[in-house]
Parts: sequence; C-alpha cells; structure tokens
Amino acid sequence: MRVRFYFILPLMALLLTGLPIRSGAADNPFHLKEGGRGKICLNCHDAFQEILKNPYVHTPVKAGNCAGCHNPHTSDYGQMLDADPKDVCVRCHAQLLPEKPTSLHKVVAEGNCVACHDPHAAANKFNLRKAGSALCFECHKEMGERLKGNKFKHAPVEQSCTKCHDPHASAKGEKLLREDMPAICLKCHDSGKPAFQKQHQNFPVDKARCTSCHNPHGSNQQSLFYDKVHSPFAKKNCSQCHDAPTSSTPFKLKAQGAELCRGCHSAMVNEALLKNRLHWPLLDRKGCLNCHAPHASDQVGLLKGPSLVVCGQCHEDTVGRVKTAQSKHPPVVKGECSACHAPHSSDQALLLNQPSVIDVCGKCHDWKGHSTHPIGTEAKDPRNPNLFVTCVSCHRSHGTDNKKMLLAPTQTEMCTNCHKAYGR
Amino acid sequence: MLRMFAVFAVLLVGWLFIPATAGCDQGIMFQHLTSLYADDKGQALLQPEGVACDEKQLVVADTAHNRLVQYSIQTDGVKGGKQLQMPQLVAPIRVQLNAKGEIFALDGKNRRIVHLSQAGAFLGNIEVKGLPAGGALVPRSFKIDRNDTLYILDIFSGRVVVCNAQGEFQRQIPLPKEFGFFSDLAVDRGGDIYLIDSVNSMVYQASSGGQSFAPLTKNLKEYMLFPTCITTDNKGVLYVTDQNGGSIVLLGTDGAFRSRKLAMGWKEGLLHYPVAMCVNGNGQAFVADRNNNRIQMFR
Repeated sequence: MRVRFYFILPLMALLLTGLPIRSGAADNPFHLKEGGRGKICLNCHDAFQEILKNPYVHTPVKAGNCAGCHNPHTSDYGQMLDADPKDVCVRCHAQLLPEKPTSLHKVVAEGNCVACHDPHAAANKFNLRKAGSALCFECHKEMGERLKGNKFKHAPVEQSCTKCHDPHASAKGEKLLREDMPAICLKCHDSGKPAFQKQHQNFPVDKARCTSCHNPHGSNQQSLFYDKVHSPFAKKNCSQCHDAPTSSTPFKLKAQGAELCRGCHSAMVNEALLKNRLHWPLLDRKGCLNCHAPHASDQVGLLKGPSLVVCGQCHEDTVGRVKTAQSKHPPVVKGECSACHAPHSSDQALLLNQPSVIDVCGKCHDWKGHSTHPIGTEAKDPRNPNLFVTCVSCHRSHGTDNKKMLLAPTQTEMCTNCHKAYGR
Repeated sequence: MLRMFAVFAVLLVGWLFIPATAGCDQGIMFQHLTSLYADDKGQALLQPEGVACDEKQLVVADTAHNRLVQYSIQTDGVKGGKQLQMPQLVAPIRVQLNAKGEIFALDGKNRRIVHLSQAGAFLGNIEVKGLPAGGALVPRSFKIDRNDTLYILDIFSGRVVVCNAQGEFQRQIPLPKEFGFFSDLAVDRGGDIYLIDSVNSMVYQASSGGQSFAPLTKNLKEYMLFPTCITTDNKGVLYVTDQNGGSIVLLGTDGAFRSRKLAMGWKEGLLHYPVAMCVNGNGQAFVADRNNNRIQMFR
C-alpha cells in the first residue's frame, strides 16, 4: 500500500508539472519567438497597419495570427496561403454550409470567399467588402439595374437581399432562399387574412408557388405581378382555366395541354397544326406551358424565361455550343432563336422559318455581296448528289471553334473538302 | 493420337466460331454498302425521316415529298424505288412493317397512323378500339413487334398504348413522372419496351408485361447530344440515333454503352442530322440521313 502511494505521488506531480509544458509545445511546436505567428509580419507588411484600423477585423488577424491562413515559409498557393483557397476558410467556417444544400452560391462552391469578404479587415460587419445589397449588385448588375426602375417595390428587397436569400447556401430552398416557396412568403404574408383570400379569389394559394404570378423583386404592375400579365389573369377570370376554388381540385385545369389555350388562341394553334412539322412539345401533356407562363411573366409573349433559357431547357447541346464556340452567331448569343426558327411549327426541317437555309441567312446577310462562291440550287455539292451548296455547307450557324463559324480550322481544309484536286 | 486429334478439333471449332459470335454481340459493324438518293424514276429523296425494313423490303418515309418509297433488298444493296403517294398520308415521319410486309406510316402533319398493303394501297387509318375514356391520343412514334402487336407512344396522354393487329386496345403503360421529352420507342424480341428521352439522353425500360417504365441508363450525354430514334436487332443490341451528334450509339439491352459509330459529315458513310434507323434479320441496317437527303445502307 505504501509502495503504491509513493509510486502514484511522483506520477501526479509529474503530470501536474508536465501538462502546461506539453500544452505549450503543442501550441507552439516550432518554439516561435513572441509575435512569430504574425505580429512580426507587420514589420515588412506595414500597409496592413492602415487596413487593420477598420472596425471589423478578422479574428486570427486581430490575434496577430497571420499563420492561421498563410504559410510564412513556402506555399503552393497564391498569397502564400497555407492551403487551397477553397479550403482555407472552411477550416474554421464549415458550419456556414448545410450538410446537404439544396442550392449553393456559385462563389461559395468555387471557394471564392474573398469575392465578398475581406480576409483581413473591412468597414462592414462580417468583413464584407460592401454593405447591404450593393455588394450583391457587383455581380448581379442586371438585377440591380432592374430594381432601380421598378415602380412597385418589395419592402424586404429594399432592405437587403439577405432577408430572403442566404448568401452562402440554403438547405431548404432553391436560389439560396432561406425557406422554400411558399413558406418564405407566408412568413410575412398571412394567408389567413380575409383580404389576402379575397385578393386571391379564395384559391388556396398558400400551397402554390407565389412566383408563378408575382415578381418578388418588384415590378411595374400592381400586386407585384410580372410586367406582362395574361389577360384572363389580369381580369381575375381564374375560372376560365381552373376548376372553382371551392371544388376538391381547385387548381385543376379545365383541359389538358394546348387544348386549354386553344379556347382563346385557336387561330394560333390551328395555324401551327396546319404545318407539316410540329414542335412536338406543343402537343404533349404540358403543351404551351412547356415554354409559356400562364399567369404573368417578365418576357415578351409570356415566355417562362429568356429564350436561351426556355429553348436551352431541352436543346442544351445547341445552346451550349455557342457558349464554348470561338466564333459565335450573334442572334444565338442574344437568344433570338426565333430569328431563324419557328417555335411552334414549320414546313421545314429543324423548324426553320424560311423555305431554304439561304433564305434564312439572307434575312440578315447580303450573301450575294459576301462571296463569289456560287450557292443555290444550281451549285451542286460535289460531296453528295442530293445537296446543293448553301451557307451551311461551309458555316455552322450556332458557332464553331473556327473563325467566321467555318466548319474547318483553315481555309485550305475548308475548300479542299469539296475541291479535292487542290488538296495536298 | 486420338487425344491430340480431339484437342485440334476443339481448337479449330473455337477458332472458327469465337470471332463470329463476338461479331454478333457487337451488333452492326457499320460498314457502308450503298446510299440511296432517289426513287426508280430518278426523283431525289428530300429530308427522309423514317425507314422500315425486313429481309425483303425497305420502305422510306420521304418526308418533304409527302410520300413513301419502297425498295427491295438485295445482299449488298437495294433495287427499285416505287413511289407510294396518297392524299391520306402527309409528311410521313415513322414507318413500320408487320409480319406480312404491310406498311404502317405515321402522318406527321395529321398525327395518325396510316395502314397500307404490301403493294402500297391505302387500307385505312389505325383507330385504337376500346381506348380508355378521358385521354386523346397523339402518336409521336410507334413500333410493331414480330407478333404484329402495335405500340404507340402517346405524348398527349403520357403513355404507351399497346394494341393488337386488329387495333384493339390491350393495355397502356404510363410514362414516368419525370422526364425530358420522349421521341421514340423500341420493342425487343422478348417484349421489353424501351423509350428514348431526347432531352436527357436517357433510355427507359418497361419489362414485357410490366406496368411502368424505369430508367435503364444514366444520362448518356457524354455519348450523344440529342437522340431521336431507338431500335433494336434480334441479338440484344439497342441502336440510338443521335440526331445532333451525327452518329449511332450502340447499347446493350442492360443499358451498358457498347460503342459509338459514324460521324457528322456529307460524304458517304457520314451522317448529317440522322433521325431514324432500322435493322433486319440479315444484319443490314438503314439510316435515314435526313439533312443529306439520302438513306445509307450498312452491314
């Protein structure tokens, strides 16, 4: 018993005296001098003295711990960072991102935290480079411009984008919304109020997507409807298309697909159906709603979005080609798909809006002055007896990696494709 | 001595048969045989969008000329080119043959299936009898299996309608809840049905007698851009026509990618916006090479 006591006592004494020493060693494994983690960095990087006068200083900077993010000796990364820029911030701020985000801010996904935050010090809370929505509008310029022109403004938008959007990621909603639709709207807008119900014709819209009618960023229409409003919707003639709000299926459509729209747009639908080639989604179960918004939209023709987005939702490869192409066709870049294609139907393959490719191109290009190369029905394509030379014999209309949207990288390769005698 | 002879015989048999079997499993090799540019009167094809073939005949949907053209198939080519034109058929976009060699064509303008005799006489339109009430039928494509059962891809009511040779409704299989756009379907010898989703470049399958479709493949965008046609041979190979990619992609009936054949171009053996393909029991394949205004024959 006595022996054991004499054994335990020195062990405890050793632990008591050794612990601080060990903990100090772990905290300072390289036995750095006072200020060695960063304070002495300011001896050379004296410009930081000014920056650090900002009211919001990053915690490790405030603690004089430059080595929290930078490696003082060598680094594989820019700014002598201690790790990949994608990982440096996450080492301490991982809790900002949900485990399974529904939506993620692009800059966050790219690890480009410094796009919004100054990693050293800033005049704004959270080390933000700019205060409020002004920071968001640095990238989302178009949105910023559009908000300025709105006649009717949405109060939370005037306060800050972060009222509705989480700037990093959202676990619950698309587009970084803090809650999914319609929950986020119902936090402020009480659907139980009689006035709310009256405005919505007693339809149970608390189960619908508010943004199918309202522009949450503001608009030039009352009730924040999108700028282009479908006439029956504007007149509150909901029952023209939907079952009664008191029915068991209040949102059910009275007819399916294009049949519903044909009730008013019969001339347009009939004209489309008389052509030999149909844009087939027009006759599927969604019909016109594949491309058009039934209530309101900020696009001409009540399109669900800009043409590039609407057409690109199915024709991703065609729209995508112009993004990577070195030479681009301006109408495609601008999303003017209908400059060449008839979106509902046509008598031509690929739904071209003119009888011949040459006519399509001729709407913008004076090809007779463009080249002395013969094109048209008299100019047989030597590669194929059933083809004649047209613009697309040499050019690809959605863009290529060659200049002037040519199909081959050099003029020689282009010409000798047909003129074999001149090939080497 | 006897043992040596036996080993030699086994080796010989193996040498003779293994390459042939391997070739069958790979499907059509796409060796170009010939290209068809016109009918028997010399009138050129214009934007053909459909082909159907058996061992004896090939029928082409010469879409922009609002007609069908019927050829007889030889070992290394085709003969003839009889024009089948009638007011009841406009802008044909899909063609099929039944076991008797009768012709069925989908009228792209009026969206109805027209039935012709083997000689090309108009027999009537396919009206599905006994179709469940409440849903109109808009056929985007159709196929006929070896028992003459008709499978219609109905995009309006979102289903595949199955009916017998007399046009009597047998059953329907709803399309899956989530998909891009289905352009075509195929039926293999075992009765399994395949759908091609042009937007997502995915194949869906419903087993023979099955009540629903399930994805057979993942998104195949790395192999194809905008597939518009799917067909199968009798050896368990699915052929997907990639319209925008100008090629044919071969898959197993288990959905596994096998190979990608041909490429975009104007010369023979190349494709420019191909939209349909058929394969017959002799291992001959015909591709509707639409923007080249021709049909190409391969084996």
